[in-house]
Amino acid sequence: MSSAFRTGTGRATDWILLGATVVFSILWLLPIIWVVAMSLKPNAELMRSTAGFLPVPFTFDNYIGITKLATVPRWLMHSFVVAASMTAMVLIVSSLAGYAFARLDFPFKRTLFLLTLAGLMVPEQAVFIPLFTMFADWGMHNTHAALVMPRVAVPIGVFLMTQFFRAVPRELEEAAELDHASHFTIFRRIMLPLSVPALTTLGLFTFIFAWNDFLWPLVSATRADMFTVTVGLASIQGNFAFSEGLGSVMASAVFASLPIVILFLIFQRFIVAGVALGTGK
Amino acid sequence: MHHSKTLARLALATALVGSAGSAAFSADISFLRFFGDCQTEYGTVTDVAAANGECGIITVLTNKFNAENTIGAKVVTQTVDWGAYYDQLTATYSTGNIPDVAVMHSSVLPNFSDRDLLTPLGDAFAAAGIDTADFVPAALKNATTKDTLYALPYDLHALLFHVNTDLMKEAGFVNDDGTVRLPTSPEEMLSMGREFKEKTGKYFIAAESQSSEGMMVRLWQSFMWQQGVDVLAADGKTASINTPEGQKAADLIKALYDEGLANTALDYPGAEQAFLNGEAGILINGTWVVDSYNAQAASGEATLKNYQVANVPPIFGASKVWADSHMWVMPKDESRTPEEAEAAMAFMKFLNDNNFQWARTGHLSVRQSVIDSPEFAALPHRGEYSATAENATALPAVQNQRAIFAAMYSDFNAMWLTGTSSADALSAMQDSVDQILRRNR
Repeated sequence: MSSAFRTGTGRATDWILLGATVVFSILWLLPIIWVVAMSLKPNAELMRSTAGFLPVPFTFDNYIGITKLATVPRWLMHSFVVAASMTAMVLIVSSLAGYAFARLDFPFKRTLFLLTLAGLMVPEQAVFIPLFTMFADWGMHNTHAALVMPRVAVPIGVFLMTQFFRAVPRELEEAAELDHASHFTIFRRIMLPLSVPALTTLGLFTFIFAWNDFLWPLVSATRADMFTVTVGLASIQGNFAFSEGLGSVMASAVFASLPIVILFLIFQRFIVAGVALGTGK
Repeated sequence: MHHSKTLARLALATALVGSAGSAAFSADISFLRFFGDCQTEYGTVTDVAAANGECGIITVLTNKFNAENTIGAKVVTQTVDWGAYYDQLTATYSTGNIPDVAVMHSSVLPNFSDRDLLTPLGDAFAAAGIDTADFVPAALKNATTKDTLYALPYDLHALLFHVNTDLMKEAGFVNDDGTVRLPTSPEEMLSMGREFKEKTGKYFIAAESQSSEGMMVRLWQSFMWQQGVDVLAADGKTASINTPEGQKAADLIKALYDEGLANTALDYPGAEQAFLNGEAGILINGTWVVDSYNAQAASGEATLKNYQVANVPPIFGASKVWADSHMWVMPKDESRTPEEAEAAMAFMKFLNDNNFQWARTGHLSVRQSVIDSPEFAALPHRGEYSATAENATALPAVQNQRAIFAAMYSDFNAMWLTGTSSADALSAMQDSVDQILRRNR
């Protein structure tokens, strides 16, 4: 009786949780559905009313406008090059630094680690002007390097990888040490293969961040042929686009998000695991 | 510094005069602007009459110049998002791709001219045959800082009253000749608003009341000029905000909201939707939307059927209204060759010659000859607000106008968004603006 009661309670709890999850999912999805619906409506109609989740009247004109632009493939290519290079470099720097902080002994290790963590507390805007001036002095603006380099040293990446490597049992390394393996060999042959889930998560977050980045590309890439897709799509919008060209704005948002949505659908398992890792579970 | 400025002006003027009538050459003109990108719609069109809207008209004008100029010049356009435009223009001075011609608001001009980032254009205009005497006074003043002409003014965009004639008729505010009756005093504005609400059940006024457009600050500034008060002194050192005149104007605007004659919940698109859906008698917005609303009314799809435009009425005495200008400037660039400067000036002259086309957007022309022309008068509704060109009041050439504006609207909007008293709102505005002005000195 008692067991049956517990089972019944458990099922009820499951249903309540499921119901709550569905309700919250719908609430989260509504703005996205609204954005997609608006992207499929004529701009003149949206000027009169933005209400409704169904794209009636319906048009593909807003998407056709984007795909007809000759510069869009170039902007997509720049975004991909920047996001992919940044991801690769962040993974290399973060994993090496994370391994060093987690496993190696060197002078001022604790101080350096704290300094790295302190970087988490410095807002991007605080270093924006010096960073911009520095790259201007080097004559590097309007290059891929300028778009990637300031984002390579990521404190959260180093922290994430340090925490991951700390959790790896020491015994795995000790066996290699008995065979006189160097630190780098241990890192490359043992630790790196073990850290694939953490690296995948960090890589995905970095890629998404790089793809969506707007402020730095806006001021560093001032030539249209060097725009990333976010800056490029913003540049084609007219004044008061949020009232007179709302459908086009929404279509731009959906278009720019698509690669990231696809990436998320493919790798969602790792992203969820990454969130759990980030919360220290 | 003074010598180098003079030399730069002389060099430019000499280059332009010296090369007048010279053989064709090849020069790219880098052209930085907002207004959007219409390449998909107008990429190859050179018939300006076929273009509509700011984006369409400037795109086709550019195409036409590229197709027809005889000096071998080619305009290479780069569009930038309006919100980020000035950040990116500033950035070009460091990144090295300084444009030859760029769009600029008059309210922003002092930020660049005071830092010696713009090429003075007076001599070059004279050499190129651009008649500055044809510009209306407010526009010429907008393009000038410290007695130096830095820009080609291209329009005046000012506040207007956009009117739903059917609703005004229902309230009994339409004269026998079909024109609308508008208030002439603060008391009348409130009494008409009450009567309008009683007879129609709708809001008398719709205006952006929530976001960063600061539409009501522009109206308040207009009311201040109507009382003979400049909110910002011409020397940029003092602001007259927390004054008896400021209080009167703020009290009127606050009363419109407090009495439910204006809707507090509208942002910019919301205010437009309310007007187009027949939920308000008067929409306070700028010249830039006239053709768009005219098209909506004519389409038969909107509830708004009979659309009229009116000058902002002289509620506090004088006929004055807030106005800004779009202008073309030549950012200073030491590496620009005389050929490139000449090509850029030829493009500016072409734009000036076609100022009427730009006036088709709804903006007011800055050229008196265009305003007086029959083709301008024939454009939809232009006759209804032609006086705005005379009433338009230029902002003083003070640095950080945008920051000052932002500081004002956040405190001003608090009157109806959080119930702040007008005295407290004006006091806060005065403090915030004083702080910015101190930084300017």
